[in-house]
Amino acid sequence: MANAVSLKNVQKSFDEVRAVQNLSMDIPAGEIFGLLGPNGAGKTTTIRMLLHILMPDSGIIEILGDSGSRKITDQVGYLPEERGLFKKMRVIDTIKFFAELKGLSARKAGPLADKWLERVDLQEWRNRRVEELSKGMQQKVQFISTILHQPKLVILDEPFAGLDPVNTGLIKDIMLELVHNGSTIIFSTHLMDQAEKLCDSLCLIHRGQSMLQGKLTDIKARFGRNRCRIRYDGDARFLQDRSLVSRYDDYGQYVEIQPCDHVKPQTILAKAMEQVTVSGFDVTEPSLNEIFITVVKGS
Amino acid sequence: MKKTLTLIKREYLARVRTKGFIIGTLAMPFLVFILIGVQMLTAQMGAREKKTLAVMDLTGRIAPVLQKHMSETYKNSQNEPLYQFEHVAVIPESLASLKARYTRRVQSEKVSALIVLPQDVFDKNAFEVYARNISNMEFNSNLERAVSYVVSGLRLEQSGLDQALVRRLTQRLELRTFKVSEEGTKEESGMVMFGISYAMILILYTALLMYGQFVMRGVYEDKNSRVVEVLLSSVRPDQFMAGKIIGIGGAGLTQFLVWALFVALGSTYGMLMVKQMAPGAESLALPTISFSIYLFFFIFFIFGYFIYATLYAALGSMVNDEADAQSLQWPVTILILMGFLAMFFIINNPNSTLAVVLSLIPFFAPLLMFLRYTVGAAPLYQVLLSIAVMIASIYGLIWLTGRVFRVGILLYGKRATLPEVVKWIKYS
Repeated sequence: MANAVSLKNVQKSFDEVRAVQNLSMDIPAGEIFGLLGPNGAGKTTTIRMLLHILMPDSGIIEILGDSGSRKITDQVGYLPEERGLFKKMRVIDTIKFFAELKGLSARKAGPLADKWLERVDLQEWRNRRVEELSKGMQQKVQFISTILHQPKLVILDEPFAGLDPVNTGLIKDIMLELVHNGSTIIFSTHLMDQAEKLCDSLCLIHRGQSMLQGKLTDIKARFGRNRCRIRYDGDARFLQDRSLVSRYDDYGQYVEIQPCDHVKPQTILAKAMEQVTVSGFDVTEPSLNEIFITVVKGS
Repeated sequence: MKKTLTLIKREYLARVRTKGFIIGTLAMPFLVFILIGVQMLTAQMGAREKKTLAVMDLTGRIAPVLQKHMSETYKNSQNEPLYQFEHVAVIPESLASLKARYTRRVQSEKVSALIVLPQDVFDKNAFEVYARNISNMEFNSNLERAVSYVVSGLRLEQSGLDQALVRRLTQRLELRTFKVSEEGTKEESGMVMFGISYAMILILYTALLMYGQFVMRGVYEDKNSRVVEVLLSSVRPDQFMAGKIIGIGGAGLTQFLVWALFVALGSTYGMLMVKQMAPGAESLALPTISFSIYLFFFIFFIFGYFIYATLYAALGSMVNDEADAQSLQWPVTILILMGFLAMFFIINNPNSTLAVVLSLIPFFAPLLMFLRYTVGAAPLYQVLLSIAVMIASIYGLIWLTGRVFRVGILLYGKRATLPEVVKWIKYS
């Protein structure tokens, strides 16, 4: 499938700070693409360049087959990490206003807005002012404003921040629906387990550079399917054995172990059974969380 | 273009729909009406109120003539003498004790003022007034004029001249002012015309300052609430800036038009009311403000607004909150203030080279060229030239402030410094 977005050798500096360095990235169309990275990695700068809010110092950015012009702005929807709505505006007017800025006529935007308000269970709040709504409700209003014009490319920066599990599920369903209908979503987040569940491909940015890129399954395969998770009771002295365990993360409920090279999971299990009471044992691939920490700390 | 219109519409409605705007727009004319009403009422009551003047005439010759002259000259609207006289017989020996007694009467407001005409008034050219209020300029000048008139008449009489002849020869003249303009020549009072110019300039000055600051506040509020980030994913920064400036300017114009309507209604029906209440006021012709003055008032407001609104928009993009804004906006505020203060110089020398030069500087033109036009000092070509200069400056300012705006609007957290801003203008 064609790429919805492609960056080639993109650079952006602010004074001495090199926010984005030599970044190349291909985002396949019709997927959820994870844009991951620690705070200050250059994610927001990259997103702003995609939106033409900032211009790159050098490099090429191609969006939906268009490079450089602002023509495709109407086909992009953007939910920034820091939410912003006009506090004194009514909910319905807010949604219609943002839709009109994306080129929708007021006549078309009205019924669509009502349909979406119903979908996210806010129809009773239609005529209230934004400032009267709770944080979570405001977030849903902003989410609707982002996608009402049926954008081909949706950029969501931390879309689940501050949402309860019910609303998280609701937004997640809508995201999957958008992708199903052919849209591409760029999903920027710190939450690795969310990214792990939703993303088809991803790019991990650190200090303005791409550290890791590709399909989630490929990346995990690259890190090997050799993690052991053990649930146990007792004193696990074997964890300190550097000839067996290269590193481990204690999550409280269980321990995730990375065995040394050439050490088979069976060997770990045998050793564990000698020393502690094992209540569960699992051989899996590394979590995205672990990959994230490994890459960021290792650089 | 369509997006800019959407932005303008939102901005305009957001302003016009607030309670503050509606109340401000409607309450202002009523406040002014009440103010004018109170002033007229007090003026009328003051005019009806007769003043009793105690006169101690040590020469014995002035007081009767003075009474006759003043009762003939100064009358209230009912055609009654404005001043009543109480003659106090006095000799130099009793002066001190009588003065003490009468100052007490002044103090207890039994008489309005005590006038002492000393024996040597013909040589020393001075007389005394004792009153609670010595700042009533109208009374002071009336009295000074009357006494001078009577004393000089007596002096001439003393020198042997015929009294009737003296009266005729010393008749005071009345000054009648005629305003010459493109629409012809009309009799008008200079003071009233200045009052109207002054009022219109005061409105311009206040409006430029107020609406300029509305733009600044609007920009940094949107920046602070992070709406800017969402907007900029749909529109260019210059569209956002244009939406802000035109939307708020439109709200300002709306307010102006409502007020203009009130003024038009007020001057028609208000005059009718005044004439009914005070039949003598018929002669009180209100100076007519010509259509061209109204027209230029709006033109200078609009161009002046664009000049200052672009500057204030750039300021708004550079700051994050009110405190930052306060400390950064003074250069622009001083520009407006300078124009306003220069007006007091220009009104006296509206044709001097300095006045012409100042009124052509785009930052001052909205106030000063308009002022020079209203007092008839600026020929039409100068007015048109200043409008051309303003349009050119607005283009330049949009270019300049647009560059600051584009960068500043995305800069959160810290206030921009001047060297940074210069760099933005150079490199962006």
